[in-house]
Amino acid sequence: MASVDMALASEALPWEGASDGRLLELCRGGDPRAFARLVALHEGMVFNLAARLLGDPEEAKDASQEVFLQVFRTLARFEGRSSLRTWIFRIVVNHCRNRQRWWRRRKKDRCCAIEDLTPSQEARLPAGPESESPYEHARRVEEARHVQAALLRLSFDHRAILLLREVEGLSCEQVAAALHVPEGTVKSRLARARDALRRQLEATLGSARP
Amino acid sequence: MTCRGVRRRLSAYLDGDLRPAESGEVRVHLEACAECAERCLGLRAALGALSALPRLEGSDGISARVLDRIELERRGPGFALLVRRWGAGRPLIIPSLLSAALILMVVLAGALALDRINDPGPLPEVATRGGSETWSMSAPSGSEGNPLFQSADVTAPRARGTAFPDHVLAEMAEGTLFVETVVARDGTVSTVTLLNGDSREARPLLEALRRERFEPGRLKGRPVAVSVYRLISRMDVLASIT
Repeated sequence: MASVDMALASEALPWEGASDGRLLELCRGGDPRAFARLVALHEGMVFNLAARLLGDPEEAKDASQEVFLQVFRTLARFEGRSSLRTWIFRIVVNHCRNRQRWWRRRKKDRCCAIEDLTPSQEARLPAGPESESPYEHARRVEEARHVQAALLRLSFDHRAILLLREVEGLSCEQVAAALHVPEGTVKSRLARARDALRRQLEATLGSARP
Repeated sequence: MTCRGVRRRLSAYLDGDLRPAESGEVRVHLEACAECAERCLGLRAALGALSALPRLEGSDGISARVLDRIELERRGPGFALLVRRWGAGRPLIIPSLLSAALILMVVLAGALALDRINDPGPLPEVATRGGSETWSMSAPSGSEGNPLFQSADVTAPRARGTAFPDHVLAEMAEGTLFVETVVARDGTVSTVTLLNGDSREARPLLEALRRERFEPGRLKGRPVAVSVYRLISRMDVLASIT
């Protein structure tokens, strides 16, 4: 097997710009540089989705690692019915759901504390436009924190569907493939999840606003 | 269209999934109904806030860790640790293993040294009374075969009624007898042993002692067999010579 160090320097190699299909082909052939490229392409979105689903950046890091290991182990079984990205989203959602079930069973008392862990993460938001005042920036951070807290008060299924549709921008059809449910179910569940989020936000943000 | 119907369709309305006619009906209703319009605004605001959520940073190092794990799985953990190039993975693995082993040795040596200091040495030999047939080490402590002695924990047996009749004493020759009586758990006398004195002269007295009855001795409220030692003396007092 070629050295892993070389794989990390994948930017210098011709995997740049390879299509999903070509990349998959190379990964299935056991090329570590191709898999390194695949991870590099998707790690940001996998981490973001896991962190928003779990509400804990450290847990999300571990979960991301496990997700990519599962991707690596099951690559041969990927049939290409959905896009690679949708397939990876499906693994993320399933993994995070299992992880949260495990939490609930073993650390019931710590379940409510997870939303407290996000403010520090939100505080590291990239700076907005140069014209943004410190006040505006602080308000943006605070609003993101409220939205994350509201998300964490929703059920896991509602949170997952909202993140896939509104944050990751998947179509209803893609969400259906990622969650392995019929498209009709996606639409009705999405309507309920959106309304639940509206109520949560109105209960917090609404009462804080004049 | 009713408020309920409009609210049910709001999500699809915002996605543009309604048929044109249906969509028009919802729009007309929203212009007329302030409450539903507010609900629609709230929904738009929630979706806006959600899509404005920033990407969380922190995925650095995931690739390296994933590829490391894959490499470990391929080679097997033991082999990977041994052949890993010094600059590649964890260059401190061997020094840290060595120092861990050193610390373990120091701790073990300390534990052994402490153990030696606290060693009380050989146990004292158990004192036994040789030659006595009534003593049996195999019998349970406190039984007739292995009676206890009176102590702070073991209460002494108390004699019920008179010890022995006068005529027995009258028949006895002058002198002192040293007698051990084992009082059984039911208050009877299980053994009488003459430890010192003339056994021929003492026979009637020993017979009388065997018939004695006691309130048994107790250890923590439980009746136990107890050895009782007694000195019995007879001295004739003669009239003074005047």
